[in-house]
Amino acid sequence: MFLSFKEIKKEKVRYGLIIGMIVLICYLIFILTSLAMGLAQQNTDAIDSWNVKSIVLDKDSNTSMAQSLITKDEVKKTNVTSDKAYIGQAAVVTKKSGRTNESAQFLGLKSNQFVAKNLTLTSGHKVEKANQVVVDDKFETDGYKLGDKIKFNSLDKEYKIVGFTKNAKLNIAPVIYGNISEWQNLKNINGQFVASAIVSKKANFKTDNKQLKTYSKSAFISKLPGYSAQNSTFTFMIAFLMIISLIVIAVFLYILTIQKIQNYAVLRAQGIPAKTLVGATISQSITLVVSGLLIGIILTAITALVMPAAVPMSFNIPILSEVGIGLVLTGLLGSLIPIRIILHVDPVSVIGG
Amino acid sequence: MTTLQLSNINKYFGTGSSRVHVLRDINFTAKKGELNLVIGPSGSGKSTFLTIAGGLQTPSTGEVELEGQSVKSMSNKQRDAMRLNKIGFVLQAYNLIPYLTVKEQFQLVKKVKKEHNLTNLSLEVLLKRLDIEDLQNKYPGELSGGQNQRVAIARALYTRPDIVLADEPTAALDSERVVEVGKILQTLAREQNTAVIVVTHDLRLVEFADNVYQIMDGQMTLNNNMKLA
Repeated sequence: MFLSFKEIKKEKVRYGLIIGMIVLICYLIFILTSLAMGLAQQNTDAIDSWNVKSIVLDKDSNTSMAQSLITKDEVKKTNVTSDKAYIGQAAVVTKKSGRTNESAQFLGLKSNQFVAKNLTLTSGHKVEKANQVVVDDKFETDGYKLGDKIKFNSLDKEYKIVGFTKNAKLNIAPVIYGNISEWQNLKNINGQFVASAIVSKKANFKTDNKQLKTYSKSAFISKLPGYSAQNSTFTFMIAFLMIISLIVIAVFLYILTIQKIQNYAVLRAQGIPAKTLVGATISQSITLVVSGLLIGIILTAITALVMPAAVPMSFNIPILSEVGIGLVLTGLLGSLIPIRIILHVDPVSVIGG
Repeated sequence: MTTLQLSNINKYFGTGSSRVHVLRDINFTAKKGELNLVIGPSGSGKSTFLTIAGGLQTPSTGEVELEGQSVKSMSNKQRDAMRLNKIGFVLQAYNLIPYLTVKEQFQLVKKVKKEHNLTNLSLEVLLKRLDIEDLQNKYPGELSGGQNQRVAIARALYTRPDIVLADEPTAALDSERVVEVGKILQTLAREQNTAVIVVTHDLRLVEFADNVYQIMDGQMTLNNNMKLA
């Protein structure tokens, strides 16, 4: 500690630049992680809010709720108890004069089933009539108000916004919760289709019908259009940044150690144990990474404050902490090569011989 | 009183036809209170002699004893401890850690060797004698060559060693500073009762030595006649 702190104190500019580099890497990793989590969250916000464990779809729907249609006959023998609910999904474009058109997902619910009953509103009330809807608060951000009447696509029927709800997004699009009968109208299907999906709070929910298939929540989410590809892209970007930070830290520590090798050789000649010098290198590495990390966290927090709501970022402290620990471990890993050099320092080299 | 004894030391580098015989049957004794000068040209083997005397290298044959204890029988850890506790090194270059002030150079040693160092008062006296007491908050880069060398000598003596091994301590110093360093080493040997061994090719130090050894092609001879020349 003594040696590393004294060196950093003496060589402020040199170490300031290294810390600056680590700050930028940390900042980039934090922002990318937050962005990845924000986007992932906007894909699944609505599903997460239902607290379900399994979902039943038509087996030929390619695990897509939007492509799934469940008939009355298929659910004839299925007992839809209080821990199960029908959901009908339809992609819509909302229109209202003077407001921006919104691409949204209409989700038809049965008002007596748990998804509709457990809906948490930020304002207004739940759907009571067929022409009423509860919408995601993105509509509120975009200027929509309680009582506004909206139309879907080219249809003439008007729906009244009676409530706003938070975190209701599916596949990035804001959700409009309405009555399941209106879903049937929007899809222009007759009464033989009851829903797109049946969701259940139980993981082991199964139906008797062979045309229906049960998926776990995670399997269903992983099949959401673009979800896995998007997450994989971010994961790779973050992993590569981690590797880059490992190389940057290792290269800097290597160069710094090489520059000090003669001093270390003198210290070894004088009987200073190698563990003292190894300790100095490790503590220096940790000091640099932790300093960079702390400044990176502060910058990320400032960014979170000024970031517009339209940017889907999620600052999840436990996950960001894991990323931070990963960076510290990366720094430790980066100090392994310099440590190997220190352990092989030959004190004779400074005397000749 | 014999402090360091080298008996029948031979050192070879390389093998087969490329083998070089660097030190040949060296016998050397250093006593406390004496300044021993080992003089020789470049490549004569004097640095190899110093590294073997300091336990940094092992001889190919022969025995090194420090205060009666065989260095050969020591583990690497024991040799580290021996160098830290019993030997003070003054080297030609890179003596001081550039990012530590003069005061911190001593603090570093104290962090590793916590006991039996000079007391703060004794250190102050030593620094005053070496005329560097006002330089304690300076970094090595802010000191002259002579001042750096005097700090290095003080640091070598801080652990109260039995032996001081100095490698070309007057290299790159002007004549005035050479005399200054020579006097300091001579005085320290006597007053601190330390065995001082200096390897050098600087003949200006001869006048301060108690014993002068010449080393040539790996062979060492006592040549105190040089002091009279």
